[in-house]
Amino acid sequence: MATTVTEQDLGLMDQVNSLARKARLAAAVFTQYSQEQVDAIVKAMTIAAIDAAQDLALVACEETKMGLVEDKILKNLVASEFQYHQIRYKKTVGIIKEFPEDNMVEVAEPVGVILGLSPVTNPTSTIIFKSIACAKTRNSIIFSPHLMAADCSNRAAQVVYEAALAAGAPRDFITWIDKSPRLRRITELLMVHPQVDLVFATGGTHMVKAAYSSGKPALGVGAGNTPVYVHKTANITAAATDIIISKTFDYGTECPSEQTLIMDSEISELLLNEFKRLGCHICSEEEVDKVAQTVIDERTGSMNYKFVGQPAKIIADHAGFAVPIDCKILLCPLIGELRKHKLVVEKLMPVLGCVTVNSEQDGINRALDINYAGGTGHTAGIFAADDDNIIEKFSQAINAGRIIVNSPTSIGGLGGVYNNLHTTLVFGCGTGGGNITTDNVGIGNLLNYKRVPKRSNFIMTFQTTKNIYINPGSLDHLRGVKTGVTFIVTSKSAAKRGHLAMVMERLPSQTRVDTFSEVGAEPDFNVIKRAITMMRQSKPDTIIALGGGSVMDAAKIIRLFYEYPDLKLNELAVNFLDFRHRLVVFPQKTTVQLVAIPTTSGTGSEVTPFAVLSMDQRKVSLIDECLLPDVAIIDANLTKTLPKELTVDSAFDALTHAIESLVSAYASDYTDGLALEAMRLIFEALSPVLDNPGNVLLRHKLHNAACLAGMAIGNASVGVNHALAHSLGMIFGIPHGKANSVFLLSTIAHNAKMPRKFTSISSYPLWIADEKYARAAQFLNLPVEKKTNGKLALAANIENAASVSLDAKDIIRDQREARKQLLIQALSRAIFDLLEKCGQAKSISELGISEDDFKAKLPDLVALAFNDLSLRTNPSFCLQADIAQLFIDSYPPRTRP
Amino acid sequence: MKESITHKIIGDLSKNDEAVEKFIAAGDKDLLIDFSACTFISVSGLEWLESMLLKAGSGKVNVTFIELSTTLYKVFKVARIESILSACGSPAASSNSAAC
Repeated sequence: MATTVTEQDLGLMDQVNSLARKARLAAAVFTQYSQEQVDAIVKAMTIAAIDAAQDLALVACEETKMGLVEDKILKNLVASEFQYHQIRYKKTVGIIKEFPEDNMVEVAEPVGVILGLSPVTNPTSTIIFKSIACAKTRNSIIFSPHLMAADCSNRAAQVVYEAALAAGAPRDFITWIDKSPRLRRITELLMVHPQVDLVFATGGTHMVKAAYSSGKPALGVGAGNTPVYVHKTANITAAATDIIISKTFDYGTECPSEQTLIMDSEISELLLNEFKRLGCHICSEEEVDKVAQTVIDERTGSMNYKFVGQPAKIIADHAGFAVPIDCKILLCPLIGELRKHKLVVEKLMPVLGCVTVNSEQDGINRALDINYAGGTGHTAGIFAADDDNIIEKFSQAINAGRIIVNSPTSIGGLGGVYNNLHTTLVFGCGTGGGNITTDNVGIGNLLNYKRVPKRSNFIMTFQTTKNIYINPGSLDHLRGVKTGVTFIVTSKSAAKRGHLAMVMERLPSQTRVDTFSEVGAEPDFNVIKRAITMMRQSKPDTIIALGGGSVMDAAKIIRLFYEYPDLKLNELAVNFLDFRHRLVVFPQKTTVQLVAIPTTSGTGSEVTPFAVLSMDQRKVSLIDECLLPDVAIIDANLTKTLPKELTVDSAFDALTHAIESLVSAYASDYTDGLALEAMRLIFEALSPVLDNPGNVLLRHKLHNAACLAGMAIGNASVGVNHALAHSLGMIFGIPHGKANSVFLLSTIAHNAKMPRKFTSISSYPLWIADEKYARAAQFLNLPVEKKTNGKLALAANIENAASVSLDAKDIIRDQREARKQLLIQALSRAIFDLLEKCGQAKSISELGISEDDFKAKLPDLVALAFNDLSLRTNPSFCLQADIAQLFIDSYPPRTRP
Repeated sequence: MKESITHKIIGDLSKNDEAVEKFIAAGDKDLLIDFSACTFISVSGLEWLESMLLKAGSGKVNVTFIELSTTLYKVFKVARIESILSACGSPAASSNSAAC
């Protein structure tokens, strides 16, 4: 039994509350339904609507005195059969869409209780359409019909509801407000009722505006005023026929129907003749005035609703001129200023304005005039053969949710008949029409979409220089290098230390060599530009970078800008939060071969995708795979003459690389192995090499350590220690290795503590920096205080026992923690001792920076460090206060940990 | 505190459960309604639960819903009937959520 509100003796609010409660309970019960149950209900409703299409069309015409029965039948079928065809296989329950590439699914959630407003022009088809859409999406709907069409609308609702109920739908999921003088007021109360979740409004402008003003989420349509441009390339006969089909459909009651034609002058006469031949009346200037006076309401300037959906003959009779009884359309040439013409507005009747234009530009501009005369966002049409040009221009200019090409705009706008638009009777008009959507509104708009993204981990890779020659004497590889012209980038000291000669004498004899020796410490972009200018003359196939980090970094940038001169340094250097999402795109390949030959054992630049240079008093970092050299030659013979201070500075730079990459949020098994071995080599060789600087074996270990640590940071990056060191180096001019050294003990202590704030990197789900430091101490076989070893043995025994009590587990956990702290302490002590042995500064105060200067610059130091890219991969998120504290902690002289 | 008795709803809850109404009419024991075997609840079922809880309240019988499947609990949540949610131990709905 269908539910209706007929108890006239109930107060208004009782009726409103009763309708809302019924819909609420039905919506709740509907949440239990499966896709199969829903689809069975939808099918039953569709069959019932198709069966009743003719009867409902008849009662609609009888009650509203609008439109044509035959066309209303078609609308009812579009709302049922066509909609069903489009939605029958659509998922609306549970997981409705999967996005395997994004590791995400979409789950449907019904909207809940919908208040559905229906219009007088499409009183039964709109009800059928919305009812079926609501069933498919498991929503309940309360219909508020137009007062002039309430009986036929409610009858349509009853037909589909009873079929749904028989198919197992929840009781009361469709209800409606009976025809009465209180209908409008009840609708207003429902629009703001707390049980109503969404207002789904189709109707007059006032009703739709009320829906949007209700404070509820609302789906509504806007007013239409469809311009149709008939381009000179159009097929005249086909265009005229389609326009007649469209404008006479239900006597013009469809809001997407044509309102004004814009005709190119080349075809306008032919087109009007064709309209005449096909049974339309071309009005004289005098008749146009009469039509305008008849169908336009003088007070409002809008169409006179008395003539909505009336045949052309009746309108002409009222206007006072004669047309044949079967006249299809009254075509009204709009003479004079178009924007001020009375007939430029929407006319839901077979009255069609027309205007002739002399160019495409004029045509589109006049179409815009119509479009913006009350119809923005709704519908437009174009007839043209030139698909690639005029249609695109027209579409870019016109503001309409649907731009119908070479077909009737009214039936075309409905979707499914002339095109593959979603079938609808609710035309979203976007912001142009004060709506939230430009969709052909349907089931897709009646669901809440729950996106369920699963965690996506960054796909980690390991990349480094392809060919690395690693033993003392490997410089001989140059003898076989394939090159005709080589450009050597180096520093002045390379010549002094004899390195340049060592390289030159090994290059194949026929090689032409040009040398650029102007790279000093931390070069700026002017140096790069000078090198490139020289290279333009040289035209090398190979660049050899011979020197320390600055030389190798410069060579990477020189190659990049030599090959891609249009790149912009300031864009390449834009800071980023996540490598995957960064703004800049680097070139994918380079053709000039880059051979990197380090002469210090520190930066590892020969195997990293990083390059640093100075720009405007600051350091900028470029990071990309394309910066990786093609060949690295790690020949320790080149480091035999490295001065002690440089040896220590560069070794501590490499040690910092190893330690920071080990605990980095981007560390992997691949980088861990490299970092640990690099640390082992430095602890083993650094101290002895100071006493025996010419020992190639010891130099070889340090050279390899720097390269291994370079590969580690090339993939895992560094951390807060580097951020602090970059800042200190920039503000006080401290060499990088020294700057790194003074922070090491503080940053290890900081990172080994439970973070104040965790870092949000998907591939770093667990904070394990403390474990990593402990692991390093174990790997290095560092001595650990023995005071808890007995307890640890006990803990191990307890853990191995068959049953372990909770207390025992606590003991094990405590002992493990104690052991870990001892190992971290051992690592810190080892670093302290190594610094001490090397005579390296362990604190900022030891660098000769006065406390006053330090305090004065502290805000700048913090600001610079906080903006450093190195922080991104630190295992804990560093707040500005953390950074300030790290600076402060690193100032005073240190005692052994 | 009254002694309580447990009653299990089996299958669809689409009409009144006479056994429950008898317990409430007797009024000597509190009632635990076990929904673990309840597979579906209709609009009529919801209406009955609400009226049953009203009667129980008048008779000073405490009714508690237990073993609710997520599907049924969601029905109760969407239905927004305060007495039913209270019988589930659900917190009262708030309309003053902070927006982000």
